[in-house]
Amino acid sequence: MIADRAPAARPGASVSMTAAPVRRARRRRIPMLPYLLVAPAVILMIVIALYPTIYAVQLSLYDVNLARYNRARFVGLDNYWKLLFDDQVFRVSVLQTLRWVGVVIVGQLGLALPVALFLNMKFTFRGFIRTAILIPWVIPAAVTSLIWVFMFDANLGVANDILVRLGIIEIYWTWLSDFKTAFFLVVMAAVWSGFPFMSIVLLAALQGIPEEMYEAAKIDGAGVWARFLHITLPMLVPTILLILLLRTIWLSHSVDLVYIMTVGGPGYSNYTTAVYSFLLTTSQFEIGYASAVAVVLAVVLLAVSTIYVRQMERSQEYLR
Amino acid sequence: MSQAVTSAVIRPAPTATRTRARIAARTGILAVSAMVLAYCLLPFVWMFIVSIAEGHSQFVRELEYFPSRPTWQNYIDVFSVMPFARYFFNSMFVAVATVLLTLSVSVTAAYAFARFQFPGRKIMILAMLLVYMLPSIVLLVPLLVIFKTLGMINTYQSLILAETTHAVPFAVWLLTGAFAALPRELEEAALVDGCTPFQALLRIVLPLSLPGIIAAGLFVFIASWNNFLFAFMFTSGEDVRTLPVVTRFFVQGEADFHWGIIMACAVLTTLPVAMLFLFFQRYLIGGLTAGSVKG
Repeated sequence: MIADRAPAARPGASVSMTAAPVRRARRRRIPMLPYLLVAPAVILMIVIALYPTIYAVQLSLYDVNLARYNRARFVGLDNYWKLLFDDQVFRVSVLQTLRWVGVVIVGQLGLALPVALFLNMKFTFRGFIRTAILIPWVIPAAVTSLIWVFMFDANLGVANDILVRLGIIEIYWTWLSDFKTAFFLVVMAAVWSGFPFMSIVLLAALQGIPEEMYEAAKIDGAGVWARFLHITLPMLVPTILLILLLRTIWLSHSVDLVYIMTVGGPGYSNYTTAVYSFLLTTSQFEIGYASAVAVVLAVVLLAVSTIYVRQMERSQEYLR
Repeated sequence: MSQAVTSAVIRPAPTATRTRARIAARTGILAVSAMVLAYCLLPFVWMFIVSIAEGHSQFVRELEYFPSRPTWQNYIDVFSVMPFARYFFNSMFVAVATVLLTLSVSVTAAYAFARFQFPGRKIMILAMLLVYMLPSIVLLVPLLVIFKTLGMINTYQSLILAETTHAVPFAVWLLTGAFAALPRELEEAALVDGCTPFQALLRIVLPLSLPGIIAAGLFVFIASWNNFLFAFMFTSGEDVRTLPVVTRFFVQGEADFHWGIIMACAVLTTLPVAMLFLFFQRYLIGGLTAGSVKG
């Protein structure tokens, strides 16, 4: 319907000479209108996001505990010096964040790309599968945690039962209390809930590759593998980079899966930086120091975000 | 004549091999489909099976892959052993209110961003995007202190306001794209016919961009329904506790229920978002691949 009407309004091509001045005149008459329109959203964001961010920076300069909030003490950059040079846990958490982000992204992409290529083939129940695989993505992270923790429960988990029956392990394993397996359990849950969306974005990119390119390559005698390597993959690179960028940001500051499944443990083995800040807040009430940790994380991620914002600036027409 | 010859030469192999190849291809597709579906959906099937298993069977006996005596009792018990109806209402209320608040401020802002050139426009759009990228963990402490000072802990308002920190930038971004995609001529025609810009928005732009608005609303609903961090932080009492927070107690074994009850609870927590998604998947998939901002 939109497509029908647009050409009908096209005679405006001859009117366009007059249309521009009209628009400018309108703007001069009511220059306040756009500001009025954006005001509610912008004011809300200033109050609920910008001010708290500044407040977080301010808190990070204080030695302040939630339990004795009135006895806050200004300490300048002490919190930052402490965490950068004198905090073993923070150092561990940075490494853990890198490991967590790296392993999950590789896992998600490793699963998402083949599935996207598969869904790009034409077969009857493709639409159904495309919808069905996204269900893990829409459900609450708390439920994802519950499902995976239950499946890998030491006593009643299906994982132990199946693996013992298959003879892969001999005795029931306590997956969550082991340093190595606790991490991989969270990774598995994160891959399971995160790969579907990645697949769908990749699928959309795949469907944007013009068919003619493949036909031309076929005529030139390129095989399936050559076509994938020289057409599909290069065409997907921008999308993949964008996904990696977003996922890096997301996973670095995600708290829910790791916290709900492991509470950072066993030991400090699942302390990502975000979880560390969260635990400082919730169990030690050290909100000054927790803010400093969060601010450092935010600043690092801001750098990554800027790349993304630049990219958006270039790709979205209405931003130019 | 020569054409007939060439076509005879490149005619494909005998039909028997062809059908065999086709059968092989189909089996392959079926097998891969089954594997993908199993990976994504079997955990849900298992969740459901446990939820209809009888009472304490999950504790006492061995694993039952097919419950010998399936029952809906757990789904009834859920409402009596804990204030489940209350939790469900809380989740629903917060999610719906977040959607309404978010859309009411985002639609106008997105319209302004898509249709007007004004000083500060680009800065504001990019700032919105950066706010969207801002880690919740940074906002957590300051919001906690602010809400505490204002006496807003354990209120719906604190949850709803906190949710909007991500919901509003997301909705503005998605809707700006949706509005920008509409041909400008439609509104110009309306303006020439004597509509005010506001009427043009109300009568022309909104109806035409309804799919985008629905998509934005649904995403905000799902994100709010699923949110754990803010809900966990700002609700210490039962009155406003939402379902993800309750689910977390189960994971940590802090609630003394058997797995049948817990899984029934999880199924009921999952159902609203899963259903919404299945009903409106056309809008959602279109919306998210177009914007591709959601992680």
